[in-house]
Amino acid sequence: MKETALYIHIPFCDHKCIYCDFYSIITYENTSSYLQSLKKEISFYAEKYNDDRKIISIYFGGGTPSFMEPEYISEIIEHVKQNFVLAENPEITLETNPGTVDKQKLENFNRAGINRISIGIQSFNEDELKFLTRIHDAQTAIKTVCDATKAGFANINIDLIFNLPGQTKQKWLNNLDEALRLPITHLSAYSLILEHGTILNKMVLDGKVKMQSDDYDAELYEITIDHLTQKGFEQYEVSNFALQGYECMHNNAYWRYKDYLSFGTSAHSFVNGKRWWNFSSVKFYNDAVSKNGNGIAGEEILTKEEMLDEYVMLALRSSGLDMNELEKLFGRSWLIKNQNYISRLIEQKFLTLTSTLLKFTSKGYAVCDEILAKLK
Amino acid sequence: MQNIRNFCIVAHIDHGKSTIADGLLEFTHTISQREAKEQLLDSLDLERERGITIKSHAIQMKYSAQDGNTYTLNLIDTPGHVDFSYEVSRSLAACEGAILVVDAAQGVEAQTISNLYMAIDAGLDILPVVNKIDLPSAMVDVVKKQIIDLIGCKDEDIILASAKTRAGIEQILEAVVQKIPPPVGNENAPLQALVFDSVFDSYRGAVAYIRVVNGTIKEKDEITFFASGKKYLAEEVGTLRMARIKTGELKAGNVGYLIAGVKELHDTKVGDTVTHTRGGALNPLPGYKDIKPMVFSGLYPTDSDDYENLRDALDKYRLNDSALSFVPETSAALGFGFRCGFLGMLHMEIVQERLEREFDQSIVTTLPNVEYWVSKKDGSKIIVDNPAEMPLQGDIEKVEEPYVKAQIVTPSEYVGNLMQLAIEKRGVYKNTTYIDPTRADIQFEFPLSEIIFDFYDKLKSISRGYASFDYEYIGYRESDLVKLDIMLNGEKVDALSIIVHEKKAYTWGQKVCTKLKDLIPRQMFEIAIQAAIGTKVISRTNIKALRKNVLAKCYGGDITRKRKLLEKQKEGKKRMKQVGNVEIPQEAFLAVLQIED
Repeated sequence: MKETALYIHIPFCDHKCIYCDFYSIITYENTSSYLQSLKKEISFYAEKYNDDRKIISIYFGGGTPSFMEPEYISEIIEHVKQNFVLAENPEITLETNPGTVDKQKLENFNRAGINRISIGIQSFNEDELKFLTRIHDAQTAIKTVCDATKAGFANINIDLIFNLPGQTKQKWLNNLDEALRLPITHLSAYSLILEHGTILNKMVLDGKVKMQSDDYDAELYEITIDHLTQKGFEQYEVSNFALQGYECMHNNAYWRYKDYLSFGTSAHSFVNGKRWWNFSSVKFYNDAVSKNGNGIAGEEILTKEEMLDEYVMLALRSSGLDMNELEKLFGRSWLIKNQNYISRLIEQKFLTLTSTLLKFTSKGYAVCDEILAKLK
Repeated sequence: MQNIRNFCIVAHIDHGKSTIADGLLEFTHTISQREAKEQLLDSLDLERERGITIKSHAIQMKYSAQDGNTYTLNLIDTPGHVDFSYEVSRSLAACEGAILVVDAAQGVEAQTISNLYMAIDAGLDILPVVNKIDLPSAMVDVVKKQIIDLIGCKDEDIILASAKTRAGIEQILEAVVQKIPPPVGNENAPLQALVFDSVFDSYRGAVAYIRVVNGTIKEKDEITFFASGKKYLAEEVGTLRMARIKTGELKAGNVGYLIAGVKELHDTKVGDTVTHTRGGALNPLPGYKDIKPMVFSGLYPTDSDDYENLRDALDKYRLNDSALSFVPETSAALGFGFRCGFLGMLHMEIVQERLEREFDQSIVTTLPNVEYWVSKKDGSKIIVDNPAEMPLQGDIEKVEEPYVKAQIVTPSEYVGNLMQLAIEKRGVYKNTTYIDPTRADIQFEFPLSEIIFDFYDKLKSISRGYASFDYEYIGYRESDLVKLDIMLNGEKVDALSIIVHEKKAYTWGQKVCTKLKDLIPRQMFEIAIQAAIGTKVISRTNIKALRKNVLAKCYGGDITRKRKLLEKQKEGKKRMKQVGNVEIPQEAFLAVLQIED
């Protein structure tokens, strides 16, 4: 059976944070029409791809999915169950923001079928939270994690951001330590990215905010990797760390080049070598779904070379490139072309080779894009 | 022959040579006013943009003079830049007189003097003209005085003109007829025709522009070019008006064109003599020189896959410009390319620009250099036109470099600045003549290598644009020259090596190192940048290793974007040049060309 992951986008947010470039909207007017579209789209693809698939993961991303009522989420999960075959223990994740949930609401999510919570904490420092224009304070963040545990969640991720303007190494270490004191199984630590079209980008362009240097970013990144690995969190992707057995199945589906179907605004799907993406606006999406059953705004059919490039990029960015598997899928030519460069990278300790698996060292992860660009 | 006049116009750049020519053509109804709007004699776009003539051309006019006779006037245009001074000399040799044009607002300038001297040396009669007298800033009397001092003519000999209002044009034509002597020559003597220019016609091959000095050339004549010794059949002979006018023959004293099925411009060399294969002249006309390139530079395709394309473009280009020379060369840094020889810096710029504009080539060039004579300790002597070929420092007995005599005309208040600049450029002061109390004509000797680079720009900037400059080649002299190498992580970047005066090596090395530090992106290892003479490092700096370059997020919605970004980065890397492990962007090579010495 073909393992497939499902992504469901919930675009609604309480407000827009300065660094965010995701598609999100600050109105709740369309929530019910959106729900109808989602269900219609799910049915559409369940019929189209009824070719012996089982769903290993469902991921609610946003936006702020936790802002929705548990019934809303429950209705979607039930609809998925009715239309697709689910694996035995599918991972079902809900992105959650502190300040949008209490223990009761979390219990209800749990009852609705959610078994993994991903909490967008970003920082435990009040000044940093204010700078990021988050709606919560540090105390609420901590409480949300504890409430999730009490509500029955054993698999909890938190997101943190480093290299914030003015962030000292000590401040960042404090954030990491605070996180490690909590009952979490997974941590995503992102270096602050300046995305086009964000408020932060404008602030930087206007000279109101100064980003820190790449070298400093590198130092913080190194500290992060050292600190987390020492505490038993294994790095399995550029920005992702997990206790053994708690790697995110959904993320791994992306990175191991499995098929994924995605529903909702701006969602990207990838099935049988074809990728497509939906309209970003709720209105366009709703209109398209009611007309066509799907919300497709664009698509690409990947060439063999593009697939190879993506496969290598995703594997190296995450838990490593298995050379046997690569050869099975794409033949030997890539290995032959890059043999010399790869040996040099191993020699210089950017890569390790264990049996047939090529994996970045922490030094290698840090310059991943530079290395990828040099591969032929 | 009594009614033929062959003449040219000499002037400093922008003093109105082309507009005076237009005025003459229009007055004689050779062209209409509308056609005159475009300065006809400068036909390449580039020439028009730069306001200079690169190739000379000729045009014939019929003029009904006040004495009642109709005259055939051949106006031979001359290139306006020192890079083409040999071509100028051949054009002058085709004339009996020259109109000297001086701008009423600018006065006598360096090229006025150098071109005038060339004309006088060629034995031409000079007709002085003060142009642009309608300008509010015209200083007619001052300029007249300068001209009188310069050529010793009488006040009333100077014609006052304005090409713009057409004032003085008829006077010029009358003076041409009355004061310039008709050609002398014997139309029955053995044929001697001077090639003063040649152009390439895609249908007809090389078209030679000739001045028949003796004899008569007719279509179907069997002819020989003295320099190449090659024989051809004269297919078509005629005169030059707006188009070629086929006349079937050209007699002594006249100017026109010759088409003889010559496939390459190389075989119609400027300065060569055409004669009849049978019963021809025993000797060629004097003054033929095989022109040699003075400035050399490596030309490389930006993308190494385009090497063959660049070769084709150069081959085609040379059909129109026999002065360009090129041979294949290989650089460890830049790959396969060509070492090209140019007449001078302007010629080099023109070739590069035309290759890019007209032949759609994207090229990287190396620092230009001159040709050095190197005597080795083992007694052998070699000619070096590429720093990479310089022998090891320890094997060199002495190095000689070409020198030029330069003439600089400047308002006297800038003499101090000029002296300063001359010292920086290793100039040797010779003497000063005052053209008038406010303008000095100063002569120096310079190593050619010092003035091919940024000398002209600097001269303009120290004199607020007022100083002008001209030079001629005078020979080789010994100098303390060294080869300076640039190394990245111990590997020489051959394309950045230069031959430089010992005293300037340190500053140059430092500037290149700093520039490279700015332009070479950080890589996964530290890069040491060094400038060295032989094994002695004289300047160094380093680029720290790249420590972080990774996109933090790459989930389902990011993959396409990330792949496209990666494809772009790979494309960028492909365009980088590689020395050892170090990747060098093309801009680094170009930036070195911009460094001020």
